[in-house]
Amino acid sequence: MNLLTALGFAVFERSGEASFRLLGPAPHWLPAGSVTEAFPFLEVFLPDAEEFWADRGARTALYSDLWTQGGATGDELHFCAIAVAGERKLLLIECAEQRFQQARSFVQYAHEASLAREQIAKLTQAKTEFLARMSHEIRTPMNALLGMVELLSETPLNDEQRKYLQVFQRAGDNLLNVINDILDFSKVEAGQIDLENIEFDLAQVIQEAIEIAAVRARAKGLALVNRIQPNVPTLLIGDPGRLRQILLNLLGNATKFTDRGELTVLVETDSDQPVPGALHFAVSDTGIGIPADRLSTIFDSFSQADASTTRKYGGTGLGLAISKRFVELMGGKIWAESKPGAGSTMHFTARFSVADAPKPVAEGSAPVVIRNRGLRILLADDSEENRFLIRGYLKDSGCIIDEVENGAEAVEQFKQRAYDIVLLDAEMPVLDGYSATREIRALGATPIFLLTAHALREARARSFEAGCTDHLTKPIKKATLLEAINKAVPAASVSDRIHVPVEAWLKPVVGGYLEKRRGDVRKLRAALDCSDYDTIRMLGHQMCGTGGGYGFEPITEIGSALEESALASDSARMRASIEDLDRYLNNIQVE
Amino acid sequence: MLKKKICMVGQFGVGKTSLVRRFVESIFDERYLTTIGVKIDRKDVTVGSESVTLMLWDLAGEDDLAQLNVSHLRGASGYILVVDGCRAASLNKAVELQRRIAGQLGPLPFVLVLNKADLRDRWEVQDTAVAEHGWPTFETSAKAGSGVEEMFLALAGKLLQ
Ligand SMILES: Nc1nc2c(ncn2[C@@H]2O[C@H](COP(=O)(O)OP(=O)(O)OP(=O)(O)O)[C@@H](O)[C@H]2O)c(=O)[nH]1
Ligand SMILES: [Mg+2]
Repeated sequence: MNLLTALGFAVFERSGEASFRLLGPAPHWLPAGSVTEAFPFLEVFLPDAEEFWADRGARTALYSDLWTQGGATGDELHFCAIAVAGERKLLLIECAEQRFQQARSFVQYAHEASLAREQIAKLTQAKTEFLARMSHEIRTPMNALLGMVELLSETPLNDEQRKYLQVFQRAGDNLLNVINDILDFSKVEAGQIDLENIEFDLAQVIQEAIEIAAVRARAKGLALVNRIQPNVPTLLIGDPGRLRQILLNLLGNATKFTDRGELTVLVETDSDQPVPGALHFAVSDTGIGIPADRLSTIFDSFSQADASTTRKYGGTGLGLAISKRFVELMGGKIWAESKPGAGSTMHFTARFSVADAPKPVAEGSAPVVIRNRGLRILLADDSEENRFLIRGYLKDSGCIIDEVENGAEAVEQFKQRAYDIVLLDAEMPVLDGYSATREIRALGATPIFLLTAHALREARARSFEAGCTDHLTKPIKKATLLEAINKAVPAASVSDRIHVPVEAWLKPVVGGYLEKRRGDVRKLRAALDCSDYDTIRMLGHQMCGTGGGYGFEPITEIGSALEESALASDSARMRASIEDLDRYLNNIQVE
Repeated sequence: MLKKKICMVGQFGVGKTSLVRRFVESIFDERYLTTIGVKIDRKDVTVGSESVTLMLWDLAGEDDLAQLNVSHLRGASGYILVVDGCRAASLNKAVELQRRIAGQLGPLPFVLVLNKADLRDRWEVQDTAVAEHGWPTFETSAKAGSGVEEMFLALAGKLLQ
């Protein structure tokens, strides 16, 4: 019995009806009085113990739950009662400190973890709402800022001003990327991302991603290689926007961490998943590589291989975490391989559906200018900056713009005369864009564009529900606006179009080439305004050397004329050539 | 002296132990130490002209792993359903527990307690969701002490009627 006492047990024998006799010495923790007075808990345990003593079945002992109460000294102690089966009816009271601490540490952990999870879920919810609101608040002025910069860059500037403006533009673009990353990430976290399911051309998506990435890669002298295996189906159904974003993230990283060599994008069928549309992508670089112990964590949020990396190379560190979620939503997985010093390869798989028949070849709409001159446009926006911006975007397009400041005025104005296009800001005083859309829609079938700062899918749904033709998210790029207008207004006369056949393999790059020339028109005009003939000569020289190669002989001719007239300082001839170029670019139709 | 057993039930972490502690010892601890099994305290009170010893059985809160052991309510005169006003789920849990207890032990007097009233600006529990049940309801803060004694004494009074 002394052994049991030493182990923390008090032993009682049930001697008569509800009376218990202590066997052996009393442990120091045993409160005074009868056992039932000392331990009120027994009132719920004894009925079970009686039943057990009467019919114990196969068990040798019955344990009670743990309980806590004041002991003899007044301290809180933890106990357990045990009914033991046998000749005699024994009741053990255990002072179960150790068992209690063990049980508690386990349950405590579970409860704390559960409370923390709840807390995080609440914070995430609040954060997502906050970020959605912030993105709206930030994107609206950003729209105005970046738009102004774009317009400013089209005006005559001296070298110093141009340099400042470039810094401004780059910083603005970076900021917008950061905002978009954060918004994406918070949506991913809150499970608010739904993938698009539309038909797209894989080759085109990859080409676009490469073209964007190429700007920075070329600046660092890196080559970009793109290999799509011939057995890869290129017409797919899935989310091209998200796919492009993954590729851009991976290419962006590869560029960041590579100083010489090349970046490769490889696409092949996924050999692990022999179903059509299951693809394997690999983006490789010849950069600094990733240490082996970091390979598995780089896809976690906020984990660039090293915090100092973030400082040195910039970025939010969210790109890979976002990519990982997108890949998972596409039914694939993402992983990295690397040899430090020799380069890294980011792999991912994704499952798409294969589209049945190839789409009829889209019109050559890549060069973005308003096809139709003299369109009459009704623009309603309460923000003077935004109106100024749109006016600026359309200033060379030959459109006539009537401006009003709210939805009600827009509806009134619409009744006054016929319009080719209506542009409505979604949020306006008096009558908002959605209601105005409904009223104008009731009056006619004119294309209506709603401009909103909400990138979220619900905002689009709301716009289309109101009956708009398209929904444009701010900040709106000039090209997006012009493309949307072109799409909505059928080409008026095809007679003055210049049809240029372009070889199929050149098509993906022709759009970009022509867009750059369009940019040249602006630069040429600006240069002419400040008699910067050197720039004109240089641009003319470039055109001369490249136009014919793409099948645009006139560009070569105009380029050579520009070069000559610049050398001769013949401003009248330069002006004429620039106008020729503008006209040619406006009327060109690629086939 | 007359003894009455009162049980504290509710989801884990809602403040059952803290309420008893505030009532019996007039102290509050920010730290969370979860209850294992049952914690038993006693407090003598006087209601009107009558003195009574309240045996306070603080039962471990229910979680995903362990269910409330209803047999611990055997012999109870009444119980206190505790809800954390900041956690909407804890009201659902209280409603579920009430149903289970009434199902196994028949009608027993009880009160509903919305605890953590000091954090009222963070409450998720809707007044309408509470009122729907028509139960006697108290708002308490084990931290600030508000409403705690009133609540225990009100239930004690009801048990002596
Ligand atoms: N702010 C505030 N915190 C409280 C209040 N009551 C309890 N808490 C805190 O809430 C946590 C949980 O309190 P407990 O009393 O241990 O909760 P319980 O219901 O006994 O939990 P279990 O024993 O696990 O079922 C602790 O951190 C307490 O400090 C209150 O009125 N206000
Ligand atoms: Mg407790």
